This record gives sequence, structure tokens and C-alpha cells, in this order.
Amino acid sequence: MGVKLIVEKVTKRFGGVVALNRVSINVPSSLVVGLIGPNGSGKTTLFNVVTGYYTPDEGRVLIEGSGRVVDITGWNPNRISRLGVARTFQIPRLIPSLTVLENMLLFYDYGSCASITCSLRRKWVDVEEAAVARAMSILREFGLESIAHKRPAELSAGHLKLVETLRGLMSDAKLFMLDEPFAGVESWMARKLTDTIRKINREKGSTFVVIEHRITELLEGVDYVYVLHNGSLLAEGKPDEAVSDERVIKAYLGK
Amino acid sequence: MIDVLGFLITLTTYIGIYLVLSLTLTLEVSSGITNFGKVAFYGLGAYTGALIGTYLPLAITGSRASPFDVNGIQLLYTISKSNPVLDLSVFLLSLAAGFAVSALFGLLLTYPIHRVGSALVGFTLLSTGEVLRLFYLNTEPLGESKGFMGIPNPFAWLPQARGAEALYLIIVWCFVGLTYFIVSRIMNSPLGRILKGMRDDELVALYAGWPTPLIKSKVLALTSGLTGVAGVLWAYYFTSINPNMFTPSLTFNIWAMVILGGIDSIVGGVLGTVLLASVDYAARFVIPFIGTTLVTPDYLRWIIVGLVMLVVLLKKPEGLAPRRGGVSKL
Repeated sequence: MGVKLIVEKVTKRFGGVVALNRVSINVPSSLVVGLIGPNGSGKTTLFNVVTGYYTPDEGRVLIEGSGRVVDITGWNPNRISRLGVARTFQIPRLIPSLTVLENMLLFYDYGSCASITCSLRRKWVDVEEAAVARAMSILREFGLESIAHKRPAELSAGHLKLVETLRGLMSDAKLFMLDEPFAGVESWMARKLTDTIRKINREKGSTFVVIEHRITELLEGVDYVYVLHNGSLLAEGKPDEAVSDERVIKAYLGK
Repeated sequence: MIDVLGFLITLTTYIGIYLVLSLTLTLEVSSGITNFGKVAFYGLGAYTGALIGTYLPLAITGSRASPFDVNGIQLLYTISKSNPVLDLSVFLLSLAAGFAVSALFGLLLTYPIHRVGSALVGFTLLSTGEVLRLFYLNTEPLGESKGFMGIPNPFAWLPQARGAEALYLIIVWCFVGLTYFIVSRIMNSPLGRILKGMRDDELVALYAGWPTPLIKSKVLALTSGLTGVAGVLWAYYFTSINPNMFTPSLTFNIWAMVILGGIDSIVGGVLGTVLLASVDYAARFVIPFIGTTLVTPDYLRWIIVGLVMLVVLLKKPEGLAPRRGGVSKL
């Protein structure tokens, strides 16, 4: 099951710059939602606020799932992640010294088996086996078995983005926040990414918020679009409605 | 006639104590903790041990002598000679206290800083080491610049001095074994992978759900505790300590050992330590015989150590034995 993301009148300032100005969005559960807007419009800042990297100056961030509403405003990223929120970065961030498989394992919740005492007593073997099995089955499901033992430096941009998205499945993410998943990715790989997003969304019911510049690739995949401009919400609606909105065209063309 | 056996026992004890420092530093480095304050925890352990080892026996036997004057030092020697139970218990208590004090100090000092930013940890620890040294230097109950001189040998009651030395060597090496076990178990576990992730990209580890500041502080508490025990072992081995033993150069000596062997690699760290500690100790032993006039003997020792580092790193930039393969054994 997915979760619902509610951002309520969030404001984030950096000195005199207002990066987000009373932004409210409401992402229904199990939907794939696009977040578009010109450079500097505040898309990544919004991601950083939702995932706990920044604390908003005003407003609240709420997650609603299985009949429960949790106010996550001001939580640390690790707590938000454990609640089922996964994110990716504009430039993919995998741990360079670990293989793809190990990068996946990093996102598995080892619970008390990640403690010092458990490590000393070597009580983690069973959990590790389960984690490896899980990671391999995810990689297999998405046809990435062959890269399991490669290191990030050996992978293409598309594969990096794919692994970064899939590692969210290791932690049972219910909300995926993808920052420009198609940037620097060839078009066949972009299609594979869209399929992956759709597949996870369909089978697990996970909610997706996707930032993207390459609108054509994005629009095939999304149900709803929010448009940010200069830190404020400019428009929202079905994809074709949103991009044909005059204000949106103006914002993108800079007129 | 040179006492070869005595030289070997001293050398291996010396290497053993350095191995505890370098093994724990290897774990710290592979967790992304830039510990430039190794000496702080080492010194803290040594001073805790010395404090207990001198004041406690005097207090228990009801003497009012100061551990810093001749009478006190002589009395401590007599007690250690005649009372094995007290002598050993004081030693064991010192080991436990050295661990506890250093570990707690590491935890409390670094948890707030890990939360602010990991880059600041190195600076804080470096300056803390110096602040502590100045504290020892200016605190009367700690002996000021003279330091402690009557720390009792835990095996002083044995009839043979050589036997006491050998027994002490065994204890040091048992502790090296324990440290090796702890460090390698942690580095080769899922936790080791998390630590590695934290070192390479702390934000990713945080987004993977790990409370990185807390994990770092816990690891540092453990390694600092072990470092503290190494300090206690040093104090009881040398039976006298003073603030000059705990300068920042000691920290960077350990770093040199770890870098020389190949950062991140346990075997490498061990090799680097054995090599540098041997060169360092041999130089300390041999140089006085040469009677250099151009350079002071002590500086010559540093030049030799520097030269060894330069040659090894030019030939093998990754260190003597770089780490291979992944973390998981599965």
C-alpha cells in the first residue's frame, strides 16, 4: 500500500531568498505525480524538506497511511526513511566502494542485528541471508542480476538511476521521491525506468513524486502534475491540462 | 654484551601496544571518523591507570605519603613486591577504569559534534588531546611536568624480573588478540558495511535509515575504550608517565602506520604498525651508538621513519596490503 503525502503551506528561506513560498501539495495514495518547473523553482528544495534534509521555516509535512496521520515536520532523514519514504538524487548517489548488491543491502532494515553486540556475536548471518535473497530477487525481477556484483563506477547513468530507485524497495518504501530520474539517460533506458516506476506503482501500490525536466518522458507516466515557479505553486492538474496552461508556458519560456 | 632477549621482549610489548592503537584507528577510519585525537584517549587511559595505581595502594595501606616523593615511590615499590593480591587487583581495576573513562569521554565529547558535522570531529579531537596534555602539565595531583613515577609493576612480586616481563608481554598480546577480534568482527559484518557507507557518503547512509551520528559515537566510544586500555598497559609497562609522552606526534605516528599498511585494511594496518614500530624502536636503540653530531639522534629517528613511508608509498601507493573484496562473506 502507498501513503498519502500532504505538504501544508511550507515556506523555506535561505537568508533573503525564499526558496519555497507557502507551497501546499496533496499527493493521493498510490498515484504517480510529476513535479515540474524551471531551474531554481524550488523542486529539489521541496524534496529536501519532505525527506528531512531541511526543516521548513513554516508549514507542516504529513504522511498518511493505513488510517494514521504522522506529522514528520522536523524529523531526521533516517526516521523519515524508516517510515517508508525513499528518495533519489539529481546526480545518483551510490556508495562507490560497495557493489550494487551491497548498496541494496545498505537499505535493508537489519534492526538490532546492526548493533555492535550482534556483530561481535555474529548473530546476523540469518538476517543477512534473508537480505541478500531479497536484494537478489528484486534485481532479478527488474533484469539487473548481471550487475549485482559491479561497482557504481562501472555502471551507466541509467543503471545508477535504476539501482537508486530499486534500493527503496529494500526498505519497503511506500513513497518514492525521484529527483530527475531521466536526466542523462538514453531514451530506451528512460522507457525502462518509466516501466519500472509503473510496475512498482501497480504491484505495490507505492506513491511516486517525480521531478523532471524532460516533460515528454515524464508525461507518459504520470497521473497528475504540479508546477512550481519561483518557489510558489503555479498550476496543477492532469498532465495535458497543466502543460497547456498559459502561465506554465510563460514560466518555461521566460516571457 | 647486548641483552637480545630483553630487547625482543621490549620490542614486542611496544609493538603490541601500538597494534591496539592502529587496529582501533583502522576501524575508526573505515567508519569515517577522522580521529586526530588518538593520543587524547591513550593519555586519558594512561593517567587513569596511573592515578589508580599510585593513590589507591597508598590509601589502602593507610600511608599518607605522596606518590610523587621518594618515600611514596619506595613504599609503592614495597607494596607491589609484598602484596600480590593488591598489586594485581589495582592493575585489573585500572584496566576497567581506563576503558570506562576513555569510552565515556569519547561518547560524550563526540555525539554533539557528529550531529553538527563530521569534518569538525577531527579538529575537536586534535585540540582535545593538546588541552588534556596541558591539563596534565599544570595539575599538581597529576604530577605536573614530572608525571607519575611510581606506578607499580603488576608482577613485581614475582621473584624473577624476566618472568614478570614475559607475563606482561602475554597480557599485552592477549589484549591485542581481543582488539583484533572486535575490529575484524565489526568490519566484516552488516554493521561494517553501514560504517563503510557512512564513510563514503554519510547522507546516503542517513537516507538508508541509519542514525549516523549515534552509530559513529558508539563506535568511537568502543575504540576509545580500547585505546584507553592501551594507555593503561603503557603506564604499567613503563611504570612512569609524563605529559611529554602524549604529544600530537603520537597520533600521527599511528596514522602513518595505518596509511602505510593500506587504509581500510586490517592486515595492512598490522603490517604497517609492525614495520614502523620496529624501525622506530630499532632506531631509538641503535642511534645512540652511532653518536651522530650533525643531527640530533632523536631527529634522525624521525627522518628514518619518514623515509620508510616515502619509499613504501612511492612503490605501493595503496599501502602494503590494501583491502580486497567486499564486506559480506556470503
